[in-house]
Amino acid sequence: MNNAIGSRFLNGSCVCRRVLKIGSVRLLVPQQHDAAHLQRNVMTAHSTFPPVKELSSKIRCSQWTEIQRQLSGRAGGTMNVFDRTMKRRQKKWAASLQDSDKYDYLRDEVGSRVADRVYDIARTFPLALDIGCGKSHIAEHLHKEVVEQLFLTDISEKSLRNTRESEIPTRCVMADEEFLPFKENTFDLVVSSLSLHWINDLPGALRQINQVLKPDGVFIGAMVGGETLYELRCSLQLAELEREGGFSPHVSPYTAVTDLGNLLGQAGFSMLTVDIDEIQVHYPGILEVMSDLQGMGESNCAWNRKSMLHRDTILAAAAIYQEMYGSENRSVPATFEILYMIGWKPHDSQAKPAKRGSANVSFGDLSKIGQPSTKDKS
Amino acid sequence: MSGTNVWTRSRERMRRFPELFAQCSGEAAAYGKCVTATTTGIQELRKDLCGKEFDALKTCFVTAAKKGVK
Repeated sequence: MNNAIGSRFLNGSCVCRRVLKIGSVRLLVPQQHDAAHLQRNVMTAHSTFPPVKELSSKIRCSQWTEIQRQLSGRAGGTMNVFDRTMKRRQKKWAASLQDSDKYDYLRDEVGSRVADRVYDIARTFPLALDIGCGKSHIAEHLHKEVVEQLFLTDISEKSLRNTRESEIPTRCVMADEEFLPFKENTFDLVVSSLSLHWINDLPGALRQINQVLKPDGVFIGAMVGGETLYELRCSLQLAELEREGGFSPHVSPYTAVTDLGNLLGQAGFSMLTVDIDEIQVHYPGILEVMSDLQGMGESNCAWNRKSMLHRDTILAAAAIYQEMYGSENRSVPATFEILYMIGWKPHDSQAKPAKRGSANVSFGDLSKIGQPSTKDKS
Repeated sequence: MSGTNVWTRSRERMRRFPELFAQCSGEAAAYGKCVTATTTGIQELRKDLCGKEFDALKTCFVTAAKKGVK
């Protein structure tokens, strides 16, 4: 998988600055290569998620969230599910841990898989942007022949200071994923790994990503979604129901994979590819699952979260988790569903669907393919 | 960030949880079975449905915790 991690050089300089820096605009239109075209056609071929009418599963807001939304006073936002200040604090706390590298296993894995998808595109990207870079888990897997210059953004200054060394010249910008401080048509490539799932207004964020991309630029993202952490969600729900007589959400709501194609389409991306990867991590018990999530800075920050977990409930949930999902060697699994998305900003040179009615073969004849037709014989 | 305070103490207590929990695997399995049975059967899960099993688990856990302190 990590076919491209060679020796790394130290010329990747990283200067953290609070001032929002606007990337140098290059007006080079990338040359079209046949290989690139072929590559993209292959990718478009397996993007087959049917459009679903639902916009996003994140719209599930309770009455309580409604009140909070007014209190938070964020004008313009249509969705306000997550407490972003709390998320920033959690990330800061996680980054300041002495042994914070211990919790990077998931980000490292997903970062390398995102980098792998960058290599799938036969191109050199002069200027790229990593949104929610953490400790730059993608950049360390990229070569400078593929990405010539990289901008790193994250909401936590602490993790930007801990970014790993990379051979690509990088610049760090502390910015919120929801408000990208870049000019339109700036980047050739935007990548993001495991940060989009804490964004309130996902359609808006994707639209912004589309805006900062140059025409024919590509966005490659990964976020957790779908049935992620269903084991933890179920055991906590059952435990609270049995102990306290009711339950409240402890695991945040996730975007469903069926919604993702629609979201990308509405944000203006074309030639979409969406796929899921399921990563299962085995832990000694429920407490290790929760403390590792905390160490990753992935604690729940939904507005409607319950701030405490009763000690009886923890004990009950531990027993239920073990019983329902535990394996014979007494380890318990935690599932992470990683949704990968690739979208292109539209450009005239891109392959488009053929005109309606231009087909000259009927789908009814599909079964006859391979058989010599009678017409050819005569 | 030095010395003991309520956070370090409670974190220390939580660190002992897996060890103590392992000592009560029998009671935990009994309670777990009682709760998970409701996810498949007709019986709906309500408050204190498995109260007896939970009390056994908790007694075992508390005893284990006391043993460790000495």
